[in-house]
Amino acid sequence: MLALTPKASGKKSTGRINKNFYGYLFTAPFIIGFLLFSFYPLIYTFFLSITNMTMMSKSYKIIGLENFTKLFADKFFLQALGNTWKLWLLNFIPQIGIAMLLAVWFTNNRLKIKFVGIWRTIFYLPNLLMPATIAVMFFSFFSLYGPVNQFTVRAGIINDAIDFFRSNGWTQSILVFVQWWMWFGSTLIILMAGMTSISPTYYEAAMVDGASSWDMFTKITLPLLKPVLIYTLVTSLVGGMQMFDIPYMLTDGRGSPNGSIMTMNVLMYMKFASNKGHIGAASSVGVMIFIITSIAALIVMKALSEREHKPGKNTIKVFTKGELKA
Amino acid sequence: MKKTLALALVFLMIVGLLAGCAQPATEPTAGTPDAAQNDTPKTLKVWSFTDEVRTMALAFQEKYPNVKVEYTMIPMTNGEFQTKLKSALQSGEVPDVISLEASFVREYVESDFLADVSDLLPVAKELGVYQFTIDIGTYEGVTKAFSYQATPGAMFYRRSLAKEYFGTDDPVKIQELVSGMENFEAAAKVVKEKSKGNTYMVGSTGDFTNLFFANRKAPWVVDGKLTIDPMVDQLFETAKSFRQNGYEAQANQWQEGWFAGMNDSLVDAKGNQKQVFSYLLPTWGLPYVLMPNAAPKEVKEEGSDKSKTVGKDTSGDWASINGPMPYQWGGTWIGAMKDAENLDLAKEFVKFTTLNPETLKNWALGTYTNEYLKKIDPSIGDKLSQGPGDFVSSRKVVEEIISKFDDAATSKFLAGQNSYKGFAAAAPTIDLKLIQASDDAIQRSLNDPLTNYASNKQSKEEAIKQFKDAVKNALPDIIVE
Repeated sequence: MLALTPKASGKKSTGRINKNFYGYLFTAPFIIGFLLFSFYPLIYTFFLSITNMTMMSKSYKIIGLENFTKLFADKFFLQALGNTWKLWLLNFIPQIGIAMLLAVWFTNNRLKIKFVGIWRTIFYLPNLLMPATIAVMFFSFFSLYGPVNQFTVRAGIINDAIDFFRSNGWTQSILVFVQWWMWFGSTLIILMAGMTSISPTYYEAAMVDGASSWDMFTKITLPLLKPVLIYTLVTSLVGGMQMFDIPYMLTDGRGSPNGSIMTMNVLMYMKFASNKGHIGAASSVGVMIFIITSIAALIVMKALSEREHKPGKNTIKVFTKGELKA
Repeated sequence: MKKTLALALVFLMIVGLLAGCAQPATEPTAGTPDAAQNDTPKTLKVWSFTDEVRTMALAFQEKYPNVKVEYTMIPMTNGEFQTKLKSALQSGEVPDVISLEASFVREYVESDFLADVSDLLPVAKELGVYQFTIDIGTYEGVTKAFSYQATPGAMFYRRSLAKEYFGTDDPVKIQELVSGMENFEAAAKVVKEKSKGNTYMVGSTGDFTNLFFANRKAPWVVDGKLTIDPMVDQLFETAKSFRQNGYEAQANQWQEGWFAGMNDSLVDAKGNQKQVFSYLLPTWGLPYVLMPNAAPKEVKEEGSDKSKTVGKDTSGDWASINGPMPYQWGGTWIGAMKDAENLDLAKEFVKFTTLNPETLKNWALGTYTNEYLKKIDPSIGDKLSQGPGDFVSSRKVVEEIISKFDDAATSKFLAGQNSYKGFAAAAPTIDLKLIQASDDAIQRSLNDPLTNYASNKQSKEEAIKQFKDAVKNALPDIIVE
């Protein structure tokens, strides 16, 4: 739209129509969609969070911050908050680490790994499966009478069957693994795209100067990959704070056992799906998720982009919904 | 030209964006009282959580050919059905008829969303409908839902194993042996010792939780406060004893290992064959759960297209008794929505499915076979059908058909025992004064603490505290002390 500034649009049509108008016109579909489907629900959620509205009755009243005081009065919200961060960090660190390692290998000219495209596709495949399928699959794999127990016990690896989904630690580990398995392929593709866009002349020059692989990685790849890394970090953070489908479907939808995989979104849904449908209380959790995610994302972007030397590279992007996944 | 094109495109995009917001056109409703008999074609929207009511809906279409039933099935495994329904109530796009399961029926009966169907009470009286099914559907003197089932509980055990461990498979003697929870536990001990730990009394601790809940003296909520009945304490102790002594298979109810006990395909991680002595299931448990799962199952062999069968046919090796304590479990109620587009038709549907002796008879006797239903609607596929054996809510109908079960499939499954007789004796004794809207949420909150205490991960105080916290979180309106 910026291409059509009055000057650039030519002198012929002066006075007939203000071409600036096109800018608004062309952005209108997005603006209207955003206002209706994102902005209004956001404001409405804030409003709901100060009411005691339930799904089962038509009347409600404004109760101020009572939902929030209740939220912090019991340990559930804090537990969910802790769980969310723990589960996200435990899956993000190996995710970025292994994706980085594989990306370096796959783009390295010296290693010349064959069939990179096939490998990349295989690693990306889990992301195409539906979360519901994955959750059910892993639940039956690791159930007490499931194949994992049968195999490991018969092979003599462990002595007795483990009741995975009645143990907090195991359930969290399985969830972290699933999240990692689902998303490292997607991170790999983004990192590889970032790496292949770095001009090979830098590496050639470095090689002439006698730089080691590690030097090249830390002095060339990492600095030039920074915008991509920030993007990955922020999308993963936002997606991680909203982690819902796998933890919801893996066990009983309440973060069982003992709320060990109850994320903030699962808690929000629990409040919403309670017998009366306490949508006011659920909204207060939603508001907290919004605040926490916004602050965390802003901190990350601020901290990482301030050290950017070239002023021209602005890393702030508008993320589409599909990108916002752990 | 370009400008008009651009404008048109923008307009199209906006229209596309908002297309989803449109309300479906509402059909004009005919105000004639006898709506079902009216000639103009009508649609009736029915929402349920299983295929059961769909069978009835087809029979309804058979009787009223000018009615088209739009049937929507939403599972309720993790509460999806309830959530969808609540959202629909808020948006105003409600179905005409809804099915309500025992765990959440009270929530709706106590709300203002269901239509008053009290005018059908005389019909119910004439049919001798079991009082407790009416009580559940009634709030403050207004009846809002009826049920086609009555669901007294029972205990099903393996005859061959009973002979082996107790020297008899006679239902009367086995009932004596297990009546009362202490005797049940003692019997579990015998089963374990005589089988050298290879047979479990039950598949999971979840099997008997309902018995304890059914025999409480006080409801969960008294004067808005959470009340923990002494039965809950006993439940904790029994669950712990069963877990610690290895009397239960540690399976999860409704999951693979639990079903595997029904056709003897339960194999532990070491490859040892395990068996399950008994299942505590109500009326519907026999035709819907036990019988379909007591046959060998075909499974694909790993890495090949060949399939192998696991388990064996255990039918004819079962018997039915009342079990350690009387109880009731589940059941489906049907109600009409107050804001239904076709309220009269919706009420007619409630009457047809729950208070029509013809329907109830067909339902219980397995008349609604796949062929029968296909004649009404050929597009239903090859699976939908209603086998015989479900226990219906009308005493009059039950008494009429009871003898027909002497040689029915259910009786063959139970080696000649007419289970219907046992249910008919148990049904009038059921009392559900304790049932409250919040029961389901409270009892779910007990799952984790119960498991923790049973597996020695928590002390009783810690478990009770966890339970109270969970209740507080799930039900903000209840006072928890």
